[in-house]
Amino acid sequence: MTSFVRTLLPLLLAAAVPGLATAADYAVQPASSKLGFSSNFQGQSFDGTFGKWTAAISYDAAKLASSKFDVEVDLSSAKTGDKDRDGALPGADFFNVAKFPQAHFVTTAFRQNGAQVVADGNLTLHGVTKPVSLNVTFKPQGAGATLDVTGTLKRLDFGVGGGEYADTSVIGPDVKINAHLTLTAK
Amino acid sequence: MSLRSNDRQWGSVAKFFHWLMALAILGNGIFGLCMDFAHSPMQKIGWFAWHKSIGLTVLALFLLRLLWRAVDRRPRDEPGPRWQHVSAHLVHGVLYLLILALPLSGWWFNSLRGFPLQWFKLFNLPALASKNDELAHTVIGIHEYLFYFLLLVLVAHAGAALKHHVFDNDNVLRRMLPFGKLRANHSQGDKP
Repeated sequence: MTSFVRTLLPLLLAAAVPGLATAADYAVQPASSKLGFSSNFQGQSFDGTFGKWTAAISYDAAKLASSKFDVEVDLSSAKTGDKDRDGALPGADFFNVAKFPQAHFVTTAFRQNGAQVVADGNLTLHGVTKPVSLNVTFKPQGAGATLDVTGTLKRLDFGVGGGEYADTSVIGPDVKINAHLTLTAK
Repeated sequence: MSLRSNDRQWGSVAKFFHWLMALAILGNGIFGLCMDFAHSPMQKIGWFAWHKSIGLTVLALFLLRLLWRAVDRRPRDEPGPRWQHVSAHLVHGVLYLLILALPLSGWWFNSLRGFPLQWFKLFNLPALASKNDELAHTVIGIHEYLFYFLLLVLVAHAGAALKHHVFDNDNVLRRMLPFGKLRANHSQGDKP
């Protein structure tokens, strides 16, 4: 027994110490989570959602340095409630899903901006990778948490809706991201 | 030429409403029928935006015209048989109804399709109804046929005005022409 403790304890400690610096991993509950976006067309805003996406979330408000979000979005799953628009979005003029089926966001750093936590990361969309910063609101709840993420990106930075669709007086330049995730501890 | 109408001819405000709206309605109607010739979806979106903005302008002009008509005087009917007076006023009434129904049916269709409604990229107007693609299909047909009906009524309206101008040599058209000068007051058989 003592030898067991003697051999196991250092192993446990060795395993636990790097663990102290690592944020907790969470699993996304898809049924109660949503990845949404909104923009405007001819002065009227519209809301859309992505039906298929995955997110690897490691987060601890006290260990921002080791926190990480890694999100993959299936762009063909975008729905905005209008058949013309939903028909156009996957096409070559917008997401071009035939060539770029997925968008990918991965954080590079988290920082505290006053009371707000900001996730800096790189978004790869439509073959373009650019830095994007998102506001993060993480609320622990029991063994899990809720995570709300908001931010704004410029569609033309990523060449989404180029050519004649680049007219921002018709299709708004900004796309707001809003995600609500329900997380359970892994 | 005064702003207000008098007993014998229309004032410049009434003429302005009449001719500007005639031009806008005819132009926008013909333009509307051509919008399917757009080369690209974005061009079509732009053309529809123009069509909608002009249509809303017609609707606004119509409301202003009604207000003006309520306070303005009106020229007396030119001498003529009673059936001509009655049918002329009937045609005017039908034209007024069509001028109102055309933009409203367009607005209704636009609402049923869930499209935004913007006036020359300046401001948006609310939907008149909630989204209903099936009904929209019917209403766009109504919108289009209202214009064909307007063209028919217009043949009677403009045809009668020209008939009075060319064959009767009276002031029916002259009193509405932008820079028209009235013929001297004369009765039939009393030629100068």
